[in-house]
Amino acid sequence: MNGAMVRIEDVHKRFGRLEVLKGVSFDVARGEVVVILGPSGSGKSTLLRLISHLDDLDRGRIYVDGRLVGYEERGGKLKKLSDAQASLARADVGMVFQRFNLFPHLDALANVNCAPMHVRGISKRRALERGAELLKQVGLGDKLHAYPSQLSGGQQQRVAIARALAMDPKVMLFDEATSALDPELVGEVLEVMKLLARDGMTMLVVTHEMGFAREVADRVMLMDGGVVVESNTPAEFFDRPQHERTRSFLSKIL
Amino acid sequence: MVLSLIHGLVLAFDVGVVREYLFKDIIVHAAMRTLWISVLAQALGVGFGIAAAVARNLKIPVASQAASIYVWFFRGTPLLLQLFFWFFVVPQNAPNDIEFGIFAIRHSWFVFSPFQAALIGLAVNEGAYMAEIVRAGIESIERGQMDASKALGMTNLQAMRLVILPQAVRVIVPPTGNEFIAMLKNSSLAAVISYNELLFVARGEWARNYKIMELVTVAGLWYLFFTSVFSVLQAELEARLRPEQERQGLMGILRRALTPPGDWTGSTGDRR
Repeated sequence: MNGAMVRIEDVHKRFGRLEVLKGVSFDVARGEVVVILGPSGSGKSTLLRLISHLDDLDRGRIYVDGRLVGYEERGGKLKKLSDAQASLARADVGMVFQRFNLFPHLDALANVNCAPMHVRGISKRRALERGAELLKQVGLGDKLHAYPSQLSGGQQQRVAIARALAMDPKVMLFDEATSALDPELVGEVLEVMKLLARDGMTMLVVTHEMGFAREVADRVMLMDGGVVVESNTPAEFFDRPQHERTRSFLSKIL
Repeated sequence: MVLSLIHGLVLAFDVGVVREYLFKDIIVHAAMRTLWISVLAQALGVGFGIAAAVARNLKIPVASQAASIYVWFFRGTPLLLQLFFWFFVVPQNAPNDIEFGIFAIRHSWFVFSPFQAALIGLAVNEGAYMAEIVRAGIESIERGQMDASKALGMTNLQAMRLVILPQAVRVIVPPTGNEFIAMLKNSSLAAVISYNELLFVARGEWARNYKIMELVTVAGLWYLFFTSVFSVLQAELEARLRPEQERQGLMGILRRALTPPGDWTGSTGDRR
């Protein structure tokens, strides 16, 4: 599979009568950081949910590291994987949510440990070490035993990033990871994301942070009405947008 | 007329009989059987309820439909009828011994003692109510929790066990306490299939000595004792399940009481 980490082929998705994705195709190379921009309702979040197979797609195919996500192909037909098989595949895709979705009944370290221990079967001792290390990396080495309700939004989101990283994902998806944060807390989360990008993580980032897109992205995309309108390097995208839709979108937010 | 009725009741009431029977072995043992079958049936009922609610919530094929039918049937018919069903109908219609090689179905498996029939009847009935309570608990947990669990590679059942149910417990416990109190009282229905629980034994005594009022009082006092003790335990359990930072406990209340009025925010100020 030509080495693409994520390959999206003609993906369609509808919710009832509303067609949210109308044929989306693109590749994300290993280590590439792709930022997806677009108005709300453009299908960005839905696309991320399909890549981590939280929802079923209606048509098309998504591959992560050459493996079909959520389905197996038999004689040209797609067959849904069993819950256990699909779960295993999902473990390779890290996802960070707008609303953090930390587990409120577990402290920070247990949030990070939980899946490695129960899904990957890593020993408790190893998982504790690794969890503490990851929390230190995101700047929360002193909050190992804090519960989510005792942490600020920015801290919670950093725990959520550490939690996703603990599964050693092949790709990380960020679904408006800073949109629910107070403005002064956005920076600390973006900082962690920048470090990750610099370390060579493959990332798909849905965001409204133009500064982050310009500085960190290898490629910036605009989605609107369920299709990719424009996809280019940040410099080209922001300074010489090709499509009228991109120009009007940028003029409204910049 | 009402007055004369009360007058008659008071005159006829023999406190000595109540005192004699309240701690008599035969009554105490019956009370313990009431407590024991209630605890067992409630525990089993919680288990059935969780299984049915999870099967329905995750839409596990076959199990989900079976769970729906289970709840529909056992919530929709009287408990008394169900007790008759397990004690009389099932053994009557049970197959004769069937053997296939090393496997066998024995007729005797379907013939229940009063205790067994009462336990099955109470537990299966309770499970149908618990299924609804657990379902409400599961549905109270926001969808993002399931998404996050699955994104981390957990299977549906792992997500339920590790993430959803532990959080749902807080919603499930209060109505479960009410269910248990109802169970303590409903267990008296097992008297109709001759299980010798508290009311059955009390009735046996008054059939001999006609001290109906006194024996009803004795049984009533025992039920009140159990439900009162359990109410206190339930309040304690609910307090323990409150999230840590909201938990008060005796020390918390004391500290709060001793904090000067101007410093009231101090007790929650360390949240961030």
